[in-house]
Amino acid sequence: MELSKISVLSLVELVVACLLVIALMVANAIVMVYAERKGAGFIQRRPGPYEVGPWGILQPVADSMKLLAKQLFVPANVDFLLYFLAPVLAFLPVLLLFLPIPFGPYLTALKVPDGVVLILAFAGFGLLANLLAGYSSNNKYGILGAGRAVAQGVAYEIPMILALLAVVFQTGSMNLSDIAEAQGSAPWRWNFLCQPLAFFIYLVTLVAETNRAPFDLPEGESELTAGFHTEYSGMGFALFFLSEYANMLLVSFVCATFFLGGYKGPILDGFWWTFIKAYAVMAFIVWIRWTFPRVRFDQLLNINWKWLLPLSILNLWITAVIIKLV
Amino acid sequence: MQQEASNIASTLLEYIARPLRALQEWLSPYLPGDEWAAYLAFAVYVLVILAGGFGAILSRNLIRAMLGLVLTFLGVAGMFLLLASPFLAFMQLLIYVGAVCVLIFFAVMLTQNTDGGEESRLPSLASLGYGALAFLAPLAVAGPLIVMYAGRVPVETPQPEGTGLLGAGLLSSYVLPFELISIILLVAMAGAVYLAFRGFNPKRGGQNQ
Repeated sequence: MELSKISVLSLVELVVACLLVIALMVANAIVMVYAERKGAGFIQRRPGPYEVGPWGILQPVADSMKLLAKQLFVPANVDFLLYFLAPVLAFLPVLLLFLPIPFGPYLTALKVPDGVVLILAFAGFGLLANLLAGYSSNNKYGILGAGRAVAQGVAYEIPMILALLAVVFQTGSMNLSDIAEAQGSAPWRWNFLCQPLAFFIYLVTLVAETNRAPFDLPEGESELTAGFHTEYSGMGFALFFLSEYANMLLVSFVCATFFLGGYKGPILDGFWWTFIKAYAVMAFIVWIRWTFPRVRFDQLLNINWKWLLPLSILNLWITAVIIKLV
Repeated sequence: MQQEASNIASTLLEYIARPLRALQEWLSPYLPGDEWAAYLAFAVYVLVILAGGFGAILSRNLIRAMLGLVLTFLGVAGMFLLLASPFLAFMQLLIYVGAVCVLIFFAVMLTQNTDGGEESRLPSLASLGYGALAFLAPLAVAGPLIVMYAGRVPVETPQPEGTGLLGAGLLSSYVLPFELISIILLVAMAGAVYLAFRGFNPKRGGQNQ
């Protein structure tokens, strides 16, 4: 058997993909900061940012300049190693998570046979980063935020996995490209119609997994100042911020691929459909953030353990029975 | 229209790929082969696993020890990848990093602990000796086996197997061990719930005694 050589082509491909993903993450954060503040303003009947540039459109630029120029402040008695490791650990895995997403029929960075498992596995590192940040910063709000992040993250991960598993059952593949391919072009042939319960459960858990309101208990600013990232300033905070928005984008892309037909659309399939759908989900996340009040912590856990978990198991069981019968 | 667009895209990609292929041809004699790369990856993973393990046992702070454990799990996941079973590698990370380590963190946070680990002392000489014995025990079993069977067992390059094979195995030939493991987990969970609810009194506002 002839041993093959390391392929330069695939290495270059991987590097280019990583660079594109970083560009996407940063661009997404900039766009979403503006969109979120304008959206909040619209919902709360105020103008939102309007001073910097026309319609306040340069506000994110001003924000990021401020973050870059800010002094890095390290509070006393922090666990140094963990304090600096946490933002990096929050940021790096997200890079990997975008690789198996099929943006278009040809635009997939890494065609992994078990793409779903890869995404779910490395999503756990984000939670770990939040914990380390809260623990290492030697702050009671930080520790409380970290404690809440554990309970919430571990709890909501289960219905999320079970909801995605129902679609995997239906498609018979864990490859994201196959799942997108299995759905039709017309909107009524997308998965959210034949898996309405899984779609609903995924939408709820998606908000909880990204720590967004109404489930933003780990960082609820009126209770815990900023929760796990209270003691981070400058670029440390910026990395958390960037990874939070990147995580939102990731769950939106997964939602688009699993339930909304991926790159398929009524006219002219292509990566533009993936982006339109993902940003529709993002708009939904922003919308409910400014519409619903924050839930109490016991309510948060009760919703998960008493409703979402049994419902997702039931959904999985029904899916399995239907697949067996048909 | 769609066909045309994809044709244009693939032509463009071809233009980018051509110089890279030329580069591959040109570099080919100097590039390492797959076997060499596999050895390199193995060495890196072994280093990661050992570094994580030493970090876990030598650090005096429980959270740092847990981080060492995470590093070890990462190395083990890399080993699974090297054995061409990405599914097991990802499950390793999903379960051990995403759930087990996070729960360890939860347990550490729920117990009283001081930050710097001042209460921990250096181990005595006797316990160091026991530790060394325990470290060498697998070697004592595995060493003779390796020497006896070295070169006799045909070592094939592992081929990536679908998860379907794994699932079929778990539900057909290995169904009994699989179910027994789940019963053990159920017993552990029931025990934990019993322990947590032993002093539970609903009349007193659900407070533990």
